[in-house]
Amino acid sequence: MAQHILNAVALGSVYLVFALGMALAWSTIGILNFAHGATFMFSAFTAHVVTQHVAMPMPAVVLVAVAAGALIATLTQVLAFGPIMRKATDHRSAELRILIGGIGVAAIPLAIAERVTASAPFGFRGSTYQAQVFEVLGLRMTTTVLVIVVAGIGIGVGVWRWLATSRQGLALRAIGVDSETASLMGVDRSTLALGTMATSGALAGLAGALLTFQLGAISPASGDQLLIKAFAIVVLGGLGSMGGVIVGAFVLAGAETFVLAMNQGTWVDAVSFGLIFVVLLLRPQGLFGRKEVRRT
Amino acid sequence: MIDWYFSHIVLIQSTLTTLLLALSVQVPLRAGVFSFAGVGCYGIGGYIAAIGMVHYGLSTATAILLAAVAGGVVAYTLGLLIQRLTGLYLAMATVAFTLIISVLVVNGGDLTGGAAGLFGALGMLDTGHLLAVAAVVVAGLTFTEIGPLGRRVEAVREDPELAAAMGIDVARYRRATFAVSGVLGGLSGSMTVLLRSTVTPDDINFHLVVLALTIIIVGGSRSWIGALVGTVIFVWMPEVLAFVGEWEDVVYGVLVAAAAVYLPGGVTGAAVDGYRKYRRKRREAADTPPDGPSPHPAAAGVGGDS
Repeated sequence: MAQHILNAVALGSVYLVFALGMALAWSTIGILNFAHGATFMFSAFTAHVVTQHVAMPMPAVVLVAVAAGALIATLTQVLAFGPIMRKATDHRSAELRILIGGIGVAAIPLAIAERVTASAPFGFRGSTYQAQVFEVLGLRMTTTVLVIVVAGIGIGVGVWRWLATSRQGLALRAIGVDSETASLMGVDRSTLALGTMATSGALAGLAGALLTFQLGAISPASGDQLLIKAFAIVVLGGLGSMGGVIVGAFVLAGAETFVLAMNQGTWVDAVSFGLIFVVLLLRPQGLFGRKEVRRT
Repeated sequence: MIDWYFSHIVLIQSTLTTLLLALSVQVPLRAGVFSFAGVGCYGIGGYIAAIGMVHYGLSTATAILLAAVAGGVVAYTLGLLIQRLTGLYLAMATVAFTLIISVLVVNGGDLTGGAAGLFGALGMLDTGHLLAVAAVVVAGLTFTEIGPLGRRVEAVREDPELAAAMGIDVARYRRATFAVSGVLGGLSGSMTVLLRSTVTPDDINFHLVVLALTIIIVGGSRSWIGALVGTVIFVWMPEVLAFVGEWEDVVYGVLVAAAAVYLPGGVTGAAVDGYRKYRRKRREAADTPPDGPSPHPAAAGVGGDS
């Protein structure tokens, strides 16, 4: 039982880092980045390629993945989302075109990674890192799980507090509430958008490196699945609430681990899909969201 | 010509079934409803047709009809449930609905064949049948694009408050688009399965949602012509892009992203805009009296360049 809880916490921490990046861009600058999953996958893939040539310790591998993620997201913003936001006339068409743009961008790294690996899973076998297994209170722990949980919860709480208390966090939240008024108050939207996307990509890269260390290998297609799960987490927690993302990530991970523990493996995916559906049906603003989901 | 037809028959048939799938997403989008329920009904339709043929020995026509009706009923019910959602939330709720269907059929036991799917559901279909169905659908949809009905649909999309103030029952129009998209999805799914003779849970995936959406965004979302143009582009692209070989998917991604950035109205939207600009230039050139050395045909030629 306790072992399952530990697994759920480790899984939830990875979900948290990934979903946090997506929620950050979506709830502030209004970009639902459909390339977030591909950014996640391709950062881990970049680190994989680098470790094949250079034997590196764990922190260096993570750093490579984080840098790759930030770079990919920045490029996506500069080449696709930025131009769309400048050209779009109204909010709804911008939303739709950002969605499509993200889908298009996501296909590019996926195609490259699938071609290079022939769609086979890839890992960090070239890294010098060896997971240490130890027992705490009868629980089997690895150093990887420890790193993941500490990083996940630390970053989750860090981003949440930063957004709630810092000056830039205030500016970002202001854009999220009303971008026109915010720009009248002197908020530089396009610069902040670039910074936010880079941060969001860095979080995707971190999640990619952590999950690959945890599982040993990930497949190129794993980004898409995670994207839907992150959406479920944000919807459950409520858009605009970082605390909600933290709760959502662990609830989803807990529910999925529970379904797995009951030997109902084929239903695992239904948890996130069902969650999206039920939450949108019963409480569209999520558990902790702002109360203004746009309705007609 | 005949040789060409027989060597490309699979592509021709999948163009027609994919057109129906794209239309199942385009019809709601044209009324401002961002719903992918049609893709879920594609899965439902495919499975109902396969189950009907394999387990109950239905005829091809009955199986397709049943699939279309079931798709319509399920989508309409879904529409009743989630009609208060809009925008991305509605989109994601319908994506979740679509993906839940694939989980359901994995766990469907003998009825759906589990993860391996169903085999041997070969229907008696040929290109003529597909063309006939597509023609009927397109003819029907044309009525919703022109005249008073077309203008009402446009009002529901562009300004629901205004439409309601003009006496249009916006909610009814939205629910109707759900039903229509379900029927189209059911038709497309059942015919695809009966042509291929197999259906597996993997056939209903996120990629199908992405495909339907990219087709209408790249082609154009305002009329069935846009859906047709997009379908032809994406179904035939692998054939045309054979020269880039393994990089086909990269080119695909670049094209979709570029269309999102530079062609908000899709290929047909850009063509219509270009044609209107050309017409305006021509008219202006014709209106201004030809003074001196600027003869009429030359002016028209200049207009055509822009």
